[in-house]
Amino acid sequence: MAPSSLDVLLKGSSGRNTRGLLRVIILVTIAAAAVSSRLFSVIRFESIIHEFDPWFNFRATKYLVENGFYSFWDWFDDRTWHPLGRVTGGTLYPGLMVTSGIIYHVLLLLTIPVDIRNVCVLLAPGFSGLTALAMYLLTSEMSTSPSAGLLAAAFMGITPGYISRSVAGSYDNEAIAIFLLVFTFYLWIKAVKNGSIMWGALTALFYGYMVSAWGGYVFITNLIPLHVFVLLCMGRYSSRVYISYTTWYALGTLGSMQIPFVGFLPIRNSDHMSALGVFGLIQLVAFADFIRSYLPGKQFQKLLTSMILLTVGLGLGGLVLLSVSGVIAPWSGRFYSLWDTGYAKVHIPIIASVSEHQPTAWPAFFFDLNFLIWLFPAGVFMCFQKLKDEHVFVVIYSVLASYFAGVMVRLMLTLTPIVCVAAALALSAILDNFLVASTPSPTAESKAKASTEDKSLRSTREPVVGIYSYLSKAVVTGSVTLYLLLFVAHCTWVTSNAYSSPSVVLASKLPDGSQFIIDDYREAYYWLRQNTPDNAKIMSWWDYGYQIGGMADRPTLVDNNTWNNTHIATVGKAMSSREEVSYPILRQHDVDYVLVVFGGLLGYSGDDLNKFLWMVRIAEGIWPDEVKERDYFTARGEYRVDEEATPAMKNSLMYKMSYHNYQSLFPAGQAMDRVRGTKLPKESPQLNTLEEAFTSENWIVRLYKVKDLDNLGRDHSHAVAFDKGLKRKRATKHKGPRVLRTE
Amino acid sequence: MRWCLALLVCCLLAAVNALSSSGSRLLAVLEDTDQKDLYSTLWADLEARGYDVSIESPKSDQLALFKHGERAYDHLLILPPKSKGLGPSLTPKHIVDFMNKDGNILLALSGKASTSSAVSSLLLELDIHLANDRSAVVIDHFNYDTLSAAEKHDVLVLQRPGPLRTDVKAFFDGEGVLALPRVAPQTLGGESTLLAPILSAPATAYSYNPKEGVPAPEDILATGSQLNIVSSMQARNSARFTVLGSVEALEDKWFSASVKTPSGTETPTVNREFAKQLTAWAFKETGVLKVDKVEHRLATEGSELNPSIYRIKNETVYKIEVSEYVYDKWVPFELPGDDELQLEFTMLSPFHRLPLKPIGRTETSTIFSAQFVTPDQHGIFSFRVNYKRPFFTAIEEKHEVTVRHFAHDEYPRSWVITGGWVWIAGLWAVIGGFLAFVVVWLYSAPVADKLKKTQ
Repeated sequence: MAPSSLDVLLKGSSGRNTRGLLRVIILVTIAAAAVSSRLFSVIRFESIIHEFDPWFNFRATKYLVENGFYSFWDWFDDRTWHPLGRVTGGTLYPGLMVTSGIIYHVLLLLTIPVDIRNVCVLLAPGFSGLTALAMYLLTSEMSTSPSAGLLAAAFMGITPGYISRSVAGSYDNEAIAIFLLVFTFYLWIKAVKNGSIMWGALTALFYGYMVSAWGGYVFITNLIPLHVFVLLCMGRYSSRVYISYTTWYALGTLGSMQIPFVGFLPIRNSDHMSALGVFGLIQLVAFADFIRSYLPGKQFQKLLTSMILLTVGLGLGGLVLLSVSGVIAPWSGRFYSLWDTGYAKVHIPIIASVSEHQPTAWPAFFFDLNFLIWLFPAGVFMCFQKLKDEHVFVVIYSVLASYFAGVMVRLMLTLTPIVCVAAALALSAILDNFLVASTPSPTAESKAKASTEDKSLRSTREPVVGIYSYLSKAVVTGSVTLYLLLFVAHCTWVTSNAYSSPSVVLASKLPDGSQFIIDDYREAYYWLRQNTPDNAKIMSWWDYGYQIGGMADRPTLVDNNTWNNTHIATVGKAMSSREEVSYPILRQHDVDYVLVVFGGLLGYSGDDLNKFLWMVRIAEGIWPDEVKERDYFTARGEYRVDEEATPAMKNSLMYKMSYHNYQSLFPAGQAMDRVRGTKLPKESPQLNTLEEAFTSENWIVRLYKVKDLDNLGRDHSHAVAFDKGLKRKRATKHKGPRVLRTE
Repeated sequence: MRWCLALLVCCLLAAVNALSSSGSRLLAVLEDTDQKDLYSTLWADLEARGYDVSIESPKSDQLALFKHGERAYDHLLILPPKSKGLGPSLTPKHIVDFMNKDGNILLALSGKASTSSAVSSLLLELDIHLANDRSAVVIDHFNYDTLSAAEKHDVLVLQRPGPLRTDVKAFFDGEGVLALPRVAPQTLGGESTLLAPILSAPATAYSYNPKEGVPAPEDILATGSQLNIVSSMQARNSARFTVLGSVEALEDKWFSASVKTPSGTETPTVNREFAKQLTAWAFKETGVLKVDKVEHRLATEGSELNPSIYRIKNETVYKIEVSEYVYDKWVPFELPGDDELQLEFTMLSPFHRLPLKPIGRTETSTIFSAQFVTPDQHGIFSFRVNYKRPFFTAIEEKHEVTVRHFAHDEYPRSWVITGGWVWIAGLWAVIGGFLAFVVVWLYSAPVADKLKKTQ
């Protein structure tokens, strides 16, 4: 009989083996699905690095592969932040580059010739497969049901909240950091459960790796102490917690301090103080625990109160003293902006100007997580029911991550893993209850009853409703299956439509439905690469710095590593001022070309004129007397670029560069800006100190060459007027006393 | 062997054609070809110095400053036209383009007739101003020639000019007096650093229009030494533009004339020598500087030459070789008077500004050098030498280098720093103490066991 032959496979020790094999196959399939769902962009476009930051990581990786690890460590980059340069080796998280460097060298060792670019492009999908596995391990620690882990792995594999940062080509720190985050948490749970130094040390090891890979490591640095703190408050102190925490803290802190960019932050920065504080606290608790076993209750009580008072007093006093004296750095601005969403806009416009630092819109939660978002609270609730040490961790993590994800769009990424865990717990509980739970065999007594009361109502004999009935089982499994299918469809749709665009290459649909590729960025960058001297300095707004460095290979003034606000403000001032003010700035910084992004012809809304107010604001932060945001708004408070634009707007370098010669594309007086939807002035603005060098096919990227000083010592407006054939007025009428030469 | 010979021939050619550092093709623009003979000594002198002088009328169809987009001549000598302009091929625009392409120009004016408006507007571009009505002459009742201008006092008799300042070399000095008949005065704009007067009028001179008489006081732009008789302008690319107020001073007649000031005796003029000095300077036979070689390296022996990267606090040596062209050859450049050649080590603003000291000379150049320590600031710096003086062509050398931070293995090791010994001692004390504690702990355990047994 078929059932019996299946039983051989499913029961007993061979059944365990079969299930183990099945589990492995399922996990491998999940990993494969995770990888392949991230390949949309490679298939649609090409194997290309996406967006902005990945271009820097890619460039750094190339440097690492070409020059070896030590010169990477000591890398002084003279092609960014001209003329300041950047101590790149000491100001980056090297984990990502080193990881792909190692993979590259291992592949070479295996005599597989591979381009470093392909390693970089495919790193994120590869690691997403590993993340799914790590997720399985983590969730399996939370639940006895084997299905929970598998479900969590599947969710993690394809949920858009994670895919958004890990499609092929999205070569960013998050690509490996999320795997490390999940795996570190898994090891931590393991350590807390077993109370073993080995697991604690492993946690520290992977924590160190995480520190080397992403600035988000601070999340772990604060979450683990918080977990321990809550456990202590719940009276759940145990030697397991003590051993795992002290091992992790001591080794992990030492490990993290080996990264030059982190350096002494773990003992000096306020963001890291909670870990240190909990470390001290757990020593005290351990000590108190030790004392209690030797002292009678009353004396212990007295000792405890006096000790608590003493330590709190000393600790608080010490902290205040160190903070005031500056030994412990104050909280960083990014940290404040986590609590007050308006903080950044007022105090640090450079942070607020980044779109991924904006608060999350509510639909984004559903967009990124689909039905997981409403399973999430159920899963958290179920954790409350059991509430072992590891469930406390889930609860804390979900509370914290939910808050952060609401504050900043990019922190959706840290929320996603815990949502997957909680949702998998909830869903596996439902499935287990309805699929596995079979009708309990009636006890002997009830059997006897049943035989005697055979003639009772039929409905009570075989209940149609209730969890044991086939109907409810069918309904529940059916709907869950439907939800799961919908989830897969949603994830695929979101991935393919929202997250798989390289943003270097834009795609749009023509009216007939065919795809139209807009490749202006690369066109302009390659123009720079092929037509300008190797050390021609390019000034652009900082968004394009990494791409110019990566694709055009030319020095830039500012880039996406926004370490020097003043330098960025200088560029902002040059862009937002009159030519007479900008030109000396350009000369002083040896600028050869200026790059602007202009979307007016195509209706590309992410152009520089739309970012212009941020340039003005950032410049105003440093030169409040020279650049004023108010000057760029009309009297009625409108931001206009047409005939009624303010003089400050019309004379700004950015405005002139954007619209220079643009009017010549249209019949007289009909020039339209399709982004801002306005008619432009009849006359195109006059540029004196710059000359147009290149404009890309769709006018998205425009390049201007900075003119040299006039050969005859005239100012540029006079020189341009002379070249146009305008006669100069004789300077006969002198205002004021005549200036006479003394020599 | 062959190229040796070719080199020799080249050297010989250079020796024979001793002439300007920037080419020999000279175009003289002269409206009346019959006036050509008035300046025969000048042409002969120029040709003797190796110039190929071609004389064209501004109205000629063949006249073109450019051929296939390149300069057709190296130098331009413009004598004052009688008509309103200089014709279609010598518009101010062409002349400015000619200068932008390193062409030199000597423009002669005359006080006899009013200057054409084209010339005037060209001069305006250079910030050189003529009198309002463009037809004034300089009159001086104390320094005039009593023999030829006893009545009109419009032939000035002046000494040749000395150095402009103490730190500027004098290219036009010497003994003897100049006769300058009917000078059209120029005034120079107050702000341009590219302009320099070669010969100014004496303090007693003034500008006077014979047709209109003495102007109203508010119309007087300049008097005395503010009026220039000869002025010069060097563009940023060192193309030279020279304005000579009196074209008659170049005529044969005045080359060999004798003059007498009201107080002096009759002396022959040195106009010929002055014309030589002036044309030599205007056509880059004198006052031309050249940088032969720039070297920078670490001060340590055997270091790489001109590296692209330095480290902070490196001892660095900078050397520059400069030569000067004097009539027919390059000679070592010597700084005039109390002047100084300076080196700047700059990032946004100079971190060092050091005098470059002459440390030696080669056959044709002087070697200047400075040694300094790179500042404690990493970034992209440049070695700059920016030497711009009146009458010398500009030296503007800029060499970009990167100054990097300390690499991880360039800091002193911990045991070298005496202040760190305390911490090192503490570290090893903890390790030693722990080991000692473990040993003591391990060997002191069994005693308790014995006690229990005895009880």
